[in-house]
Amino acid sequence: MLKTPEWGMMIVVYFFLGGIAGGAYFTAAIADIFGESRDSKVARIGYLLSLPLVAICGALLIVDLGVPARFMNMMRVFKFWNPMSIGAWVVGVFGAFAFVSSALSFSASPSVVLVRRAISLVGIFFGFFLASYTGVLLSSTAQPFWGEARLLGALFLASGASTGMAAISLIMFLMGSKPGAGWTKVKLADRYSMIVELVVLGLFLGLLGSAAKPITSGHFAGLFWGGLLGLGLIVPLAIDFVGHRVKSLAAVSALLVLVGGFVLRYVVLMSIQS
Amino acid sequence: MARTLAMFTDTSLCIGCRACQVACKQWNELGMEVPEWTGTYQNHAHFTDKTFRLVRFIEEPKPSGDLAWLLMSDVCKHCADAGCLNACPTGAIYRTEFGTVNINQDVCNGCRYCVSACPFGVVAFNEQTGTAKKCTFCNDRIHNGLGPACAKACPTESIQFGFRDDLVAKAAKRVETLKGMGFKEAQLYGADANGFLGGLNAFFLLLSKPSTYNLPENPKVPQRNVVVDSLLSIGSALVVGLGALLAFRQRGNGDGDA
Repeated sequence: MLKTPEWGMMIVVYFFLGGIAGGAYFTAAIADIFGESRDSKVARIGYLLSLPLVAICGALLIVDLGVPARFMNMMRVFKFWNPMSIGAWVVGVFGAFAFVSSALSFSASPSVVLVRRAISLVGIFFGFFLASYTGVLLSSTAQPFWGEARLLGALFLASGASTGMAAISLIMFLMGSKPGAGWTKVKLADRYSMIVELVVLGLFLGLLGSAAKPITSGHFAGLFWGGLLGLGLIVPLAIDFVGHRVKSLAAVSALLVLVGGFVLRYVVLMSIQS
Repeated sequence: MARTLAMFTDTSLCIGCRACQVACKQWNELGMEVPEWTGTYQNHAHFTDKTFRLVRFIEEPKPSGDLAWLLMSDVCKHCADAGCLNACPTGAIYRTEFGTVNINQDVCNGCRYCVSACPFGVVAFNEQTGTAKKCTFCNDRIHNGLGPACAKACPTESIQFGFRDDLVAKAAKRVETLKGMGFKEAQLYGADANGFLGGLNAFFLLLSKPSTYNLPENPKVPQRNVVVDSLLSIGSALVVGLGALLAFRQRGNGDGDA
C-alpha cells in the first residue's frame, strides 16, 4: 500500500552524472595532492569534468521538481539527518569546490598549486558525499528493497568512483595525445574501484537476500545481471587484466564501466516504481 | 503546544456509508476523479492527491468458510514521529500546535521525498499544483473550533474527534467491551504513545490483525537508517580512496611521460 515517488529518467541521469562528478573530482584531487607532477593532467581533467557535470546535476534536480521556481525553498532549512536536505546543499557546495579547483588548475605557480591542493583536500569529502548520498537517500525511505538496502550508499560510492575514473581515462584517450603515466594510474585506480564495487555488490545482494528480487529476478533481471554485473563490471575487469596494454581495448572497458554505472542507477530506481 | 488533538476511528462502528469520504471531498474542495474498479465497493484502491479519507471494504475469510466484511475509514495517521515530516527538505511539512501534521502548499516544491517516506502510502503528488497532498486534519476547521469534516459527518460516531488522552482512554474501554462481546481480535492500532512512530494522532480500533487491513505491523521512521547507511558509505569511501591513493603513489610503470 505504499506510494512510489515516481522519480524518472531525469533522476536516473542525475544519479549517474552526480556519481561521475563526485568520483572524477575526488580522483583528481587525490592525483593532485598525492600523485606526481606527471599526474597533473589527470587532476585537471577530473576537475574540469566535474564542473559541467555538477551544473547539469543541479539543473536536472530543479527541472524535476513539481514547482521548479521554488527550488530555493530547499535552502530554507538544513536537516542534517535528511539526505535530501543535505544533498541539495552539497550539490551547491560541491559546485563551488569544483569551480575553484578547476579555475586554479590552470596555474602552475607553486603558491596557487598549494592553495588548490588545500581546497581540493576539503573538496574530496564533498565528492565522496555527492557520489554516495543518493544511495542513502533511497535507503532511508519506506519503500521495499530501497529501504532494506543497507549498502546502497556504499555501492553507489564505489560505482561513482569507477565511473568517474573511467570517464577521466576515456577523455584522456579521446584527446589523443600520448596518454602517459597518469593514464596508466587512473586505469589502475579504476580497476581497484571496480574490484571494490564487485565486493560491495556481492555483500549488498547477500545482505538483501530475497529483498533484492526486484532487480535480481523478473523484468529487470536481464539488465542487472547482463548489463551491470556482466558488461559493466566483469567484462571490463577481464579486458583490463588481459589487454591493459592495448589502449583502444582499455577505452572500450572504460566505456563499458560507464554503461554499467548507468544501468545500476536505472535498475535500482525503476525496479520498484511503476 | 496545545493539548494534542486526535481522531479515533472505531472500525467496529463503520457502516461503509462513505459520508466521511464525501464530506472530506466537499470541505477540502478536492476535485473529481475517474472511479476505478477495485473488485469491491471500495473506491479508490488507495489514497490519492484528491482522496484524503477512504473507506476500505475488506473481505476476510473466516474459519467457517464465510467472509467477514470489515469496513475501515482510513486516513493520514498524523504520526507523532512522521516519516514525511522528517523527509521534507523545504520545511513545508510541519507540525501544528495541535500535534497534527500538515503540508504548507505555498512552500512545497514537489521533490516527492515525503511520498517515498510515508510508511502508509498516504502522501500523494498532485500533477496540477506540482505539490504533495494529504489530509490536513481540516486545519482550517480545527483552528476555528470545529472538528474535522469527516468526524462531523460520520453518522455512527465511528470517527471521533477530541483530545488524544480522552480518546485513548475511551478506545481502551471500547476494546474491552468488544472482547466481552466475542470479538477476540479487537485491538487498537497506534494508540500507544510509546509504540511505533511515537503513536498515531489518528488511531484506529481494528477487529482483526493490522495486516488484514493492509496496515504494517510495526512501521518505522525510515530516516532511522541514515546513520548506519552513512557509516557504511564512509567505509566504502575509505577503501576506494585508499585504492586511488595506492594507484597514484605508484611510480609511473611504463608508457612514458605525459
